[in-house]
Amino acid sequence: MVTTERPESRPLGDRVYDAIFHNYVWRSVFRSGYPNTPRNQMLAVATNVFLHLHPTRIHRTHVKITHTFCLGGLSFFLFLGLTITGVLLMFYYVPSVERAYEDMQRIQTDVRFGMLMRNLHRWMAHGMVLAVLMHMMRVFYTGAYKPPREFNWVVGVVLLVLTLLLSFTGYLLPWDELSLWAITVGTNMVGSAPILGEPNRFVLIGGFDVGASALIRFYTLHVVGLPLLAAVFMTVHFWRIRRDGGLARPL
Amino acid sequence: MVISTQAAAQSPAVRARSRRSREEELLVWPDLVFVEFISAVLFTLSFTLLSVLIDAPLQDRANPAHTPDPSKAPWYFLNLQELLLHMHPALAGVIVPTVALAALAAIPYFDRSLEHQGEWLATPRAWTMTAIGAVVGTVGTILLILWDGQKHVVLWARLTGHDVAEWPAKLNWLRNARSIQNNIAWPESWRHIPLGSKVLRTDLLGLPKVDLDVNLPAVLVEQVIPVSFMVGLPLLLSLVLWRLGIAKTRRDHMIVQFSGFIAVFLTLTISGTFFRGSGMELFWFWDVKPAVS
Ligand code: HEM
Repeated sequence: MVTTERPESRPLGDRVYDAIFHNYVWRSVFRSGYPNTPRNQMLAVATNVFLHLHPTRIHRTHVKITHTFCLGGLSFFLFLGLTITGVLLMFYYVPSVERAYEDMQRIQTDVRFGMLMRNLHRWMAHGMVLAVLMHMMRVFYTGAYKPPREFNWVVGVVLLVLTLLLSFTGYLLPWDELSLWAITVGTNMVGSAPILGEPNRFVLIGGFDVGASALIRFYTLHVVGLPLLAAVFMTVHFWRIRRDGGLARPL
Repeated sequence: MVISTQAAAQSPAVRARSRRSREEELLVWPDLVFVEFISAVLFTLSFTLLSVLIDAPLQDRANPAHTPDPSKAPWYFLNLQELLLHMHPALAGVIVPTVALAALAAIPYFDRSLEHQGEWLATPRAWTMTAIGAVVGTVGTILLILWDGQKHVVLWARLTGHDVAEWPAKLNWLRNARSIQNNIAWPESWRHIPLGSKVLRTDLLGLPKVDLDVNLPAVLVEQVIPVSFMVGLPLLLSLVLWRLGIAKTRRDHMIVQFSGFIAVFLTLTISGTFFRGSGMELFWFWDVKPAVS
């Protein structure tokens, strides 16, 4: 009798796994499988467009939560979250004095998940201001601004200002009493500067009072100008971290 | 890499630095990517939870004819709005924040020591410096706010059983900052110094006339005194700590100043947020009523 050796049938799990991860379409997106050797893991980080912000290796202490408390990362995460929820809010919001407030009410009552989006956007905005301030404190108290990281600290201060401005310009958009008067008080402070104060205030709010032109200016700055600037400075910030040899560590 | 040569030029400690030891390093995938992923999930969940539980406020439609009392800026600017109550608006609204940001950005250019970077409060005396800065900043700011709010007069009245109005007239100029301007018999000519028509004769050059009429006591109260407090007190603190031998290095001074700055910033923010009610007067925070319009 001749016995032919039949290939062992493979377990179901393996076959499902193969069907999902080893098919032609998947492979066209992710060229290699799960990186399970150190070499492949480093390649996975270095060759992926999103992950390659990271180095491939990192010092042991920097993975400890208590070293950074994830605060810089949290600021960035919140920036991304604000972009997403912000875009969704833009679908429903028209920055005109006639519509702005009514649109806010509609977002809250008529739009499915509108209230959730608005709440997320608001709380993340407050969270980002807090996170950036605390990130600055962590960088200071870990002495991470010392050479060669001086300039990245300066970039950080610019990011802090941009974060505050982003939040401030957003404050006007609901066009309720709180926003109108908060912006009036805030821009009056600008107006009180010697010599250049009044002209600056005039340019900022496009008139003598916070009105229709202030709304459109703040809106444009809030959704285009400032986010773009912030993105540019964040790019520089992250790039510098890499160029400065990763996070600071004891000599 | 470029940085190591730059750093090596500066300190023998750096020159002695061994090459990165590979054993001390982890792979970003999976160790860091994993932590980042988990934190992203956790923060998404907690912000979603927060947003389900608490709604963002939306008040009545904006109405330029109605001014709410108090009308406040967003919380992260309330520190400036608090300052605004005590000094010239140009100072509080523009000059102080600009100078503060510039000073903040300049920190790394003052303190260029390399030791103990990348570790929490690792320089010797770091914790002491933080504590001193924080305590002095908080207490000093609170005292100044109370003084400008005439709370020492209230305290005196409570302690001695007098009425607030009975504060000795001779000491009226000590009521608050403004009373230095109003309750001292300044020569009348000091209140109107016509710089515009006497000194800055732009009209002689064919330029428009400058209407500059300086009120010296007002300048003193609104500008000179606040500036000397804001610049002088931090400098004094550093000087004292240096003479006493408590602060020795630039990093020590940086820590004192930065901690002091954060403490002042927080105290002003808290005061502006929770302790200012109608008319931006000082109240206990349980007496502060929401804005009415
Ligand atoms: C939108 C604001 C900001 C974002 C998104 C951001 C993001 C980050 C991230 C992701 C890191 C990596 C380490 C960490 O997570 O702590 C970092 C490091 C750093 N950040 Fe920021 N940052 C911001 C604002 C600031 C500010 C306000 C400062 C200081 C004034 C600053 C100064 C630095 C410095 C010096 C480092 C290097 C730290 C080290 O080497 O240990 N950044 N930042």
